[in-house]
Amino acid sequence: MSPEVRKSGSPEVDWRPTAPVGVLRRRAALVERTRAFFRERGVLEVDTPVLQGGANLDHGVTPMHVEIAGGTRFLPTSPEHPLKRLVAAGVGDVWTLAPAFRAGERGQRHAPEFRMLEWYRVGWDDRRLATEVITLLSTLTDLSPEHDILAWRDAFRTHANIDPLTADDAALFARLGADAAVANNDRRIALDLLLTRDVEPRLGRGRWTVLTDYPADQCAQARIRQAGDGTPVAARFEIYRDGIELANGYHELLDGSALRGRLEQELAARDSGERLDERFLAAMANGLPDCAGVAVGFDRVVMLALGLPDVGATQAFTWGDA
Amino acid sequence: MDTMGIGEVGKGNKLIFDGAPWLVLEVNFVKPGKGNAFYKLRVINLLTGNTLEKTLRGGEKVELADVEDREMQYMYHDGTSFAFMDQTTFEQVSVSAKSIGDDKDFLLENMMLMVTLWNQEPIAIRLPNTVQVEVEYTEPAVKGDTQSRVLKPAKIKGTGGNVQVPIFVAIGDKITVNTQTREYSGRVK
Repeated sequence: MSPEVRKSGSPEVDWRPTAPVGVLRRRAALVERTRAFFRERGVLEVDTPVLQGGANLDHGVTPMHVEIAGGTRFLPTSPEHPLKRLVAAGVGDVWTLAPAFRAGERGQRHAPEFRMLEWYRVGWDDRRLATEVITLLSTLTDLSPEHDILAWRDAFRTHANIDPLTADDAALFARLGADAAVANNDRRIALDLLLTRDVEPRLGRGRWTVLTDYPADQCAQARIRQAGDGTPVAARFEIYRDGIELANGYHELLDGSALRGRLEQELAARDSGERLDERFLAAMANGLPDCAGVAVGFDRVVMLALGLPDVGATQAFTWGDA
Repeated sequence: MDTMGIGEVGKGNKLIFDGAPWLVLEVNFVKPGKGNAFYKLRVINLLTGNTLEKTLRGGEKVELADVEDREMQYMYHDGTSFAFMDQTTFEQVSVSAKSIGDDKDFLLENMMLMVTLWNQEPIAIRLPNTVQVEVEYTEPAVKGDTQSRVLKPAKIKGTGGNVQVPIFVAIGDKITVNTQTREYSGRVK
C-alpha cells in the first residue's frame, strides 16, 4: 500500500498496483543481478510448470489444487520436482525464479503467491551450497558475507534454554509457559513454537546465520548423516537475516525408494486429496546425481534489500490486490 | 455457537476466549518453512479493557462473540445503572455504573451514543469523541492572568463531572471536551 500509487479519490474497485514504480524498478534490478550471478557461474536458467501433475508434499506446507478438465492439478509450493527431474536427466546445474503457491500462508513474511528462487549444484554438498547462497544474498543486499554456522540443537540450547533432544515432555511444554496449551501435547508443535517465538527472532542479527543439522525427522528431502555428537541429523540448512528465514537447502537424498517412503508417509498423514508426483518419483528412482539444492524466498530477499516492512510491499500485485 | 477458522480472522473480529468477549486488534502469522503455522493475536477484553497476546495453532477454530454496536439515546440514571433507548425499536437497556466508569461525567440526557451488546446484553458504551457541555461552576478568572496557560477545574452541568479548563472560561460557557483524553478543546460561541 503505497501513497505514491494509492491516490485519494480511488474508485471503489482499486485496480492500481500494490508496489510503487520505484520498488518495481529496484526489484527488476535484483532479478538482473541474480541472472548475471548464475550466468557467470554457468548455471542454466530454466522455466518450470505451474500446473503440476502431482503435489509437493512437505510437512506443514499445503498446495493449492486446480480443478480442470482431465482432473486435478497442483500449483507448486516450490519448483523442486521439475528442477530435480532436469538434474536427473543430466542437464547439470539449473536455476529458476518461479511462481510458488502455499495455501493459507498470509502475513508480514508470507504471501499465498510468491516467487521462489531455486537452484541445484551437481557434485556439491550442503555446506558448499550454503556459502554460495550467502555470496548471492550479500551481493543482492549489499551486506557483508560474514556469517555464523549454528546447529539446530545448539540454537535451542543457546536461545530457548532447552535441549530439544533430551528434554522430557514436561520440561519442554513447561518451557512454553502461557503458550503450553497451544502445543496440544505434541512435541513437534512445541518445538516449532519455541523456534518461532524464542529462537528465530535472535538469528541473523548483524550477520547471516546458517542454521543446520536439523533433526532426522525434519529431513524433508535431505539425506541423513551423523553429526559431531553422534546423533543422526538431516543435511539441511536454512539461512536467516534479521530473524527472517530466507533460504532452505539440502544435500539431496539420492535413494528413490526412501524418498517415496517419506512422501507416502506425509501423504497418509493428510486428508486433502493430494497425490504423489509419480513422474518426479520415477526420475528419482532412475537416479539423481549427487547434488545440493536450495530454495530462496525471493520476495523476502527484496524486502530485506529494500528495507520494506512486508513481502506484499515487494509485489506489483499482492494477494489482496491480485 | 458460531465458529470461524483462525486463518479467516482479521482485525476487528470479536471472539470468545475463556468465556469473555475480545476484540481483535492485530493478527500476525508465523511459521517455520516446513513446520506448523501459528497465529499471534493481540486482543482487548471488551468487559475489562485488558489487552493480551494470544497464540493459536494454524487450523484451529475460534468462537465468534455475538457482539454488536447499536446507536442509542441516553435516558436517565437511577443510582446503580444508566438507561439507554434504541430510537428505532424503542427497546430500552440498562448498563451498570461500573461498566460506564468515568464516562458518566459526559453523559448528558438525550445524548446519542454507541452501546455494545454481547448476547443482547449491554456491556459497554462508546461516547462520541467530543461532547458539548455547559460549565455549571468554575472560579472566576483573576485579573491579569488571562494570558497564562494555567488550568482550573470546572463542574459540568447535568453530570457533576469535573474537567480542567483555561483560566478565561466562565460559568455558563458552553465548551467542547475530548471524551478520550478528558481535555478541553474549545469554547462554543
